[in-house]
Amino acid sequence: MVLTHSTNHTYSHPFPTVTLAYFLRYSSPQLNPFAAHVLSTDTISSHVDPKTQRLYTTRIHLKKSRMPSAVYKLLPASVSGGSSGEKASYILETSVVDIKEGWMKTESRNLNFTGVLSVVEKQHFKVPSTPEAIARNETDVNSSVMFKSRLGEKIRGKLGQAQEGGSGWLPGLLGGLGAKGIQRSIESLASTKTIDQLSKSRDGMRLVLERLRNGGVIGVMEKLRQERQRQTMTM
Amino acid sequence: MSASLAPECNEVKERYDTCFLKWYSEKYLRGAEKDNKECAGLFNEYQKCLSVALKDRGIDKLLDEAREDNKENDVRLTAPRK
Repeated sequence: MVLTHSTNHTYSHPFPTVTLAYFLRYSSPQLNPFAAHVLSTDTISSHVDPKTQRLYTTRIHLKKSRMPSAVYKLLPASVSGGSSGEKASYILETSVVDIKEGWMKTESRNLNFTGVLSVVEKQHFKVPSTPEAIARNETDVNSSVMFKSRLGEKIRGKLGQAQEGGSGWLPGLLGGLGAKGIQRSIESLASTKTIDQLSKSRDGMRLVLERLRNGGVIGVMEKLRQERQRQTMTM
Repeated sequence: MSASLAPECNEVKERYDTCFLKWYSEKYLRGAEKDNKECAGLFNEYQKCLSVALKDRGIDKLLDEAREDNKENDVRLTAPRK
């Protein structure tokens, strides 16, 4: 089973600024307090297609796990990493910007825990279609999130990591509740939590956008530089 | 600026990020000079440092798996319908 959730939103900022805010949104908890759960951000590839002039970027974020605690409670420690253990997930983020055509498409997915739950978030930012909205300097975005639990399914020809690590607990659990039932519970628990977080991530984007409006990118970068210096001094 | 997952790469990562953001906001978004070659040297230096950390933490394997999954999905979604 797969659960999807889709929303539309309009930012009252021009498209180029919104794309910049997207790249900046995890730069610092001071710039975006809603990103305090982001532990690290790394770029692993970045290139401009010489033909289309589109910018392709791939980044890896390490986030304190957003898997709801209710999901953890459904799983044995061998799968979830235990309640006291590190609950961080690696997120792979790919994005394409086409500045000429005025759109940006992004996709984020978790790299670990995929045997339990895959979450794929896609966003499509674009210059609005009506001249009035363009004149108002707005940017439209459609966001969709897909949840899919593959607990107990065969992945790449072998049983998912969940069962491999779970030495014997899964058949019993599935016997009682059924694999589909557990998958559905995990998907719906995760989606309830994520939909709540989507509005926080929009709040974060709005905050970064406001700071860009007030200080411009140079101002924002200068703030980040000062913050970095302070951190070095206190270290 | 946010940290790198490998603390030893923080410094070069920050220099690259700053270069990228400057290039992106001042050139790419303004439709001038599309190539981000000016940050290429820093990027290579950064990747040299980061690739070790990705291997150590097993993230390179996770990336390969994610690519495998995508391939499987591509095959499934682009297969002729029966």
